[in-house]
Amino acid sequence: MGHVKEINVLIIVFTEMRDKLRKWREDNHRNSEQIVDVGEELINEHASKLGDDIWIIYEQVMIAALDCSRDDLAWTCLQELKKQFPGSQRVKRLAGMRLEALEKYEDASKQYDSILQDDPTNTAARKRKISILKAQGKSAEAIRELNEYLEQFVGDQEAWHELSELYINEHDYGKAAFCLEELMMTNPHNHLYCEQYAEVKYTQGGLENLELSRKYFAQALKLNNGNMRALFGLYMSASHIAASPKVNATVKKANVKYAAWATNQINRAYQLAGRGTKENKCSVKAVEEMLESMQITMS
Amino acid sequence: MRMSVKLTTQAYCKMLLHAAKYPHCAVNGLLVAEKQKEKKKDSHSTPILCVDCIPLFHGTLALAPMLEVALTLIDTWCKENKYVIAGYYQANERTKDFRPNQVAEKVGARIAENFSEAAMIMVDSTRFTMGCYEPILAIYDHHENKWKCRDCNADCFEDWCEAQKITSALLEGRSYESLIDFDNHLDDLRNDWTNPEINKSVLHLC
Repeated sequence: MGHVKEINVLIIVFTEMRDKLRKWREDNHRNSEQIVDVGEELINEHASKLGDDIWIIYEQVMIAALDCSRDDLAWTCLQELKKQFPGSQRVKRLAGMRLEALEKYEDASKQYDSILQDDPTNTAARKRKISILKAQGKSAEAIRELNEYLEQFVGDQEAWHELSELYINEHDYGKAAFCLEELMMTNPHNHLYCEQYAEVKYTQGGLENLELSRKYFAQALKLNNGNMRALFGLYMSASHIAASPKVNATVKKANVKYAAWATNQINRAYQLAGRGTKENKCSVKAVEEMLESMQITMS
Repeated sequence: MRMSVKLTTQAYCKMLLHAAKYPHCAVNGLLVAEKQKEKKKDSHSTPILCVDCIPLFHGTLALAPMLEVALTLIDTWCKENKYVIAGYYQANERTKDFRPNQVAEKVGARIAENFSEAAMIMVDSTRFTMGCYEPILAIYDHHENKWKCRDCNADCFEDWCEAQKITSALLEGRSYESLIDFDNHLDDLRNDWTNPEINKSVLHLC
């Protein structure tokens, strides 16, 4: 009886581990240490039970291993994949990533060039080349290459988002806004793009941009009323507009109302979160006081 | 003579845990010190002791609105706890890049407006090890609108041996997995950016 129970427990453990890896894959989680922990055990102890899943797991674990400087594990995974899929472009790209992790950027670049020679439309290889530029601190070049890439592959959302981040890091907020506008056009229901666009506009500064930012924070909230960044952003932008000497009384009144509404919502959100935990009371109090103190500067 | 900023174990620890949690991102945060009562005439008697660290963001650091929220909120929290924001730290996305950039200088300058002895701290990730054998910070002081780098050695800590031992232990134990920064707080308000559990672990190991 005990023997059967033991096997059942092992099966449960195994399926849990496999399901965890799948979830992390689907969510594109970069929790590399955990992936290595779970993945390595799965590969070493349960390879036979994984069936065809094993190949995608080798890929996932290899990339995580590179993140954790576990070249031994990455190498093992790579060899298994090479054996199973000889001549595969996808495996070639993984070999390139390993070279990148070892900072052998020239060799990695050559690897990606050889992929592109066989298949000039291989987007993965092109994006890895741009990542190399990023890793080397060559931001201007990375931006240029990414722009060229997007002329050809105008629907690649990951690339538009990467470009917006590169521009933000260079403090080129106008161009970052343009990238986010592209993303909002193709993803009108995505509250995160709306909210990020609002943040960029706010950072650009000036009354016009502040009003735009307020509108987009509000839009993000409409799409997802749990987005705290959008709620705080609405509060901040409305408060700044209300406090500006350049606005007329009507605009000021409207923005004071928006800010007051946001204050209410923020306090509610904190009350809800703080329920039952005495530690969070300090956060609730701090927020209340912060909002109160800002009210004074607005009037 | 200007007195240097000193760090407690808790402050150093949480800084490094933040960087360790997001090795592929830039991270930043604030340092807080206890508010001094009356400033003595000969102000070179006591160094500023940064007693705690508030991790702020990871990833994109160059956007204003959430930073403003964090600064205002933490300022309010400081007033309640008789603290003052005394410094800013940042670890860049690229390991080899440990120079302060525009973000670091701007935030540092803003803090220096309210606290003249503010320190700007850059984390040098190239020397970041589990063993924490040496301090991996570069400390910058604000002098005549410029940031000047000062040597960081064991003197910059209240107790370097303790800081080294405890930071290393927490890294080995993967405490960084439970470290909360302001970004995590915005994702879920129940996440507490004062990190009481980690503070307890630090005290426990002292």
